[in-house]
Amino acid sequence: MEPIFEALPGLEVPVGGIGRSLARMWADEAAGGRPAPEAEDAKATQVNFVLHLGFNTDAADAARQFATVVRFAQRYPCRVVVLCPRAADAGGPPLRAKIYGECFLGRTRADKRCVEFVMLSYDRSARAQLEDQVSICLSTDLPLYYWAHRFADSGRLADYRFLLGQAKRVILDSAESPADALRYPWPNPAAIRDLAYCRLLPVRQGVGQFLAAYAPAALTEGLSVVEVEHGRTWRAEGAVLAKWVGERLAACGWAAGGGGVEVRERLEAGGDLGVRFRYEGGAKEFGWRGDLAAGQAHFRAGFGVGRTDLTTGLALLAPEVALSEAMFF
Amino acid sequence: MAESGRHPFLQGLSKHRGAPPTVVVIFGASGDLTARKLLPAVYNLSHDNLLPADFHLVGFGRKLMADGQFRAVAEAAVKEFSRREPEPAVWARVAARTSYVAGGYDEPAAYQRLAVQLAEMERQLGRDLQRIFYVSTPPSVFAPIIEQLGACGLAAVHRDTPLHSKVIIEKPFGKDLASAQALNAAIRGVFAEHQVYRIDHYLGKETVQDLLVQRFANAIFEPLWNRNFIASVQITVAEEVGVGLRGGYYEQSGCLRDMLQNHTMQLLALTAMEPPGSLAPEAIRDEKVKVLNAIQPLAVGPGGDVARAQYAAGMVAGRSVPGYLEEEGIAAASATETYAALRLSINNWRWQGVPFYLRSGKRLARRVSEIAVNFRRPPGTLFAGETARFDLSANTLSFQIQPDEGLSLILNTKIPGLETRTQPVKMSFRYATTFGSNTAEAYERLVLDAIIGDGTLFIRGDETEASWRLYTPVLESWRAAGRDGMDTYPAGSWGPASADALLAGAQHRWRQP
Repeated sequence: MEPIFEALPGLEVPVGGIGRSLARMWADEAAGGRPAPEAEDAKATQVNFVLHLGFNTDAADAARQFATVVRFAQRYPCRVVVLCPRAADAGGPPLRAKIYGECFLGRTRADKRCVEFVMLSYDRSARAQLEDQVSICLSTDLPLYYWAHRFADSGRLADYRFLLGQAKRVILDSAESPADALRYPWPNPAAIRDLAYCRLLPVRQGVGQFLAAYAPAALTEGLSVVEVEHGRTWRAEGAVLAKWVGERLAACGWAAGGGGVEVRERLEAGGDLGVRFRYEGGAKEFGWRGDLAAGQAHFRAGFGVGRTDLTTGLALLAPEVALSEAMFF
Repeated sequence: MAESGRHPFLQGLSKHRGAPPTVVVIFGASGDLTARKLLPAVYNLSHDNLLPADFHLVGFGRKLMADGQFRAVAEAAVKEFSRREPEPAVWARVAARTSYVAGGYDEPAAYQRLAVQLAEMERQLGRDLQRIFYVSTPPSVFAPIIEQLGACGLAAVHRDTPLHSKVIIEKPFGKDLASAQALNAAIRGVFAEHQVYRIDHYLGKETVQDLLVQRFANAIFEPLWNRNFIASVQITVAEEVGVGLRGGYYEQSGCLRDMLQNHTMQLLALTAMEPPGSLAPEAIRDEKVKVLNAIQPLAVGPGGDVARAQYAAGMVAGRSVPGYLEEEGIAAASATETYAALRLSINNWRWQGVPFYLRSGKRLARRVSEIAVNFRRPPGTLFAGETARFDLSANTLSFQIQPDEGLSLILNTKIPGLETRTQPVKMSFRYATTFGSNTAEAYERLVLDAIIGDGTLFIRGDETEASWRLYTPVLESWRAAGRDGMDTYPAGSWGPASADALLAGAQHRWRQP
């Protein structure tokens, strides 16, 4: 059984005939009157993208992540390879391939982007051939981006050096990865990006923009402790937020002393993420609370001049947007 | 701004995600540009989460309207003109902080009311707001608005702080050198130059910005970007539409003022300028001014550097259309040009001897704006002589600005077969094919740039004056000549014969893009 591979759409083709099969697939699409790359179109490729579905991925999750990459490719056309590892006892040929293509039609005739996906199912014995097979499927003079999703063990993922070492960005999600994923000595640590951090961009931006209106010294003078709260399902995001706030305050000149940033899981309703600055004497205050279900955030601040109570919209980045944030920013 | 110079809470965010608390006041709130471009831009910026949490919008206009009426008008405009279907929740957030002030543009009491309203916003918010005044009115009231903003103190609010007031001014920026200088003087009496954002929406287009990237981020182009390898440069801004219902405005303007003096000169400046020392706004604008000042004065008259014409009746997109003089609101003996073409010489080390051909017109064969860089032919005779076998074109790199933004390169290549025969082929890159077409529009980019204080894509006062210095003698000469020397061209064509003559001496020809 290869449940991940089977869950993905596409047409199974011989591993040795992927290129020919893609050409035939587009010809069939065109013959059927469906959108396909025209002769005058270069197939749009900005980057190579490898989605590596780990052993903790189930069939439904695989289909969900594939759909995320499809949506991502609508905006950023890329050459996509999806790697599906196979359990040791699965049997069958060591490598299997599927192909899939989509053309996205925009507002104008010129706005047609056609992208190709190659799915490779492999067992551990075929890892040596996997590198060559992946290289054939990619446009190797363009940058490579690598997303390792729900892998079970950082040490085993580290075996894929040809991806980890070559990728311009290696994308992980601290909410779904082993606990050591962000600390692991990866071949190129500077390339690692955490999707949880990227998802939080609207929070970092909202809080950052709000606090940037005050002088750094006004934020840090008298600041005794920072509390970051999160709901039960936002543990990774809470950790990311706490780390970010702590780093930004340190850059403002805050020497945390005995206080520092406290992270706590808060179970009551009314918010999923929150930040509060506590000041000595209570003369100043800052609080932000985000209710993701309601799509709202609330700021409350007073830094000696006036008092601000402000409600705004809030939504974390959609998965495909978080991917682009991780890749390009 | 360098990352190290930013507030610590903005470090790590892209510069466009660092907008300060802001109120934008639109003068000309019930105007066409506001409806078509500015309000959709505000909506889409909000949709993309690029506006600050404490963003406010105030419409200012002569029409009496309640806040609710303005919000309804604005919502209708967003529904009609936004590149996206509006989402009610996003619009509701914008509308909740949208209001309106009615008043005359030269009425001091109206500005006092505006000032009080803005101060009250700050009081309720509990912190300071940056004020941005967007002047989207007929040019006749540009100066009165600027003067009133100075007189009521709004221009000076938060001066010398990061939240200093800013003014965005739409084109046309003057109608000749004297009026541009007078307007600049009026502005400088109230605002410092770093507070002024003169808009030319062409600079907000992706391909225009890409021009700098193509030139300075690709090693293959810049070494060739000079008189040794480039034979000529053609810049075309062609419109398919006629004057339509804008006859009254157009009669006072004409093609040279409406298109060439601003859009095409910006395209020329970016094409021809020297590499700036950095991407800082002033570094880029300094180089643009230098190259504009290096353009030689234009010779007017027979054998000169300019051609002008009006469209005659013809056929556009398969239907017959009237000539300019038959259009509504046009004087029977109008001397307003609907087409102008120029041959410019840039007197500097890089461009000596390379003609820059500029043209713009209404009722041309199709709507297209492009910059075409024509390279010299290779030396030698290896593939010369047998024209049947060797069909060779000059290499041409063209940046298409609209529609179908992208670039193409003409290369000569061998036709497959036993015998060596050649043929030009076109390699194309289209933005829409690679990146999709639903990208931010020019006004979104420019409004946001003004909010975050990035003046790179705006025009400095000395740029406008440099451009007018070149064109004012031409306009004066044409005014004195009346209709003498005015050529015609059939609607739906690529322009008059007199424009072809500008290129004939160098054995160049206009492209038909």
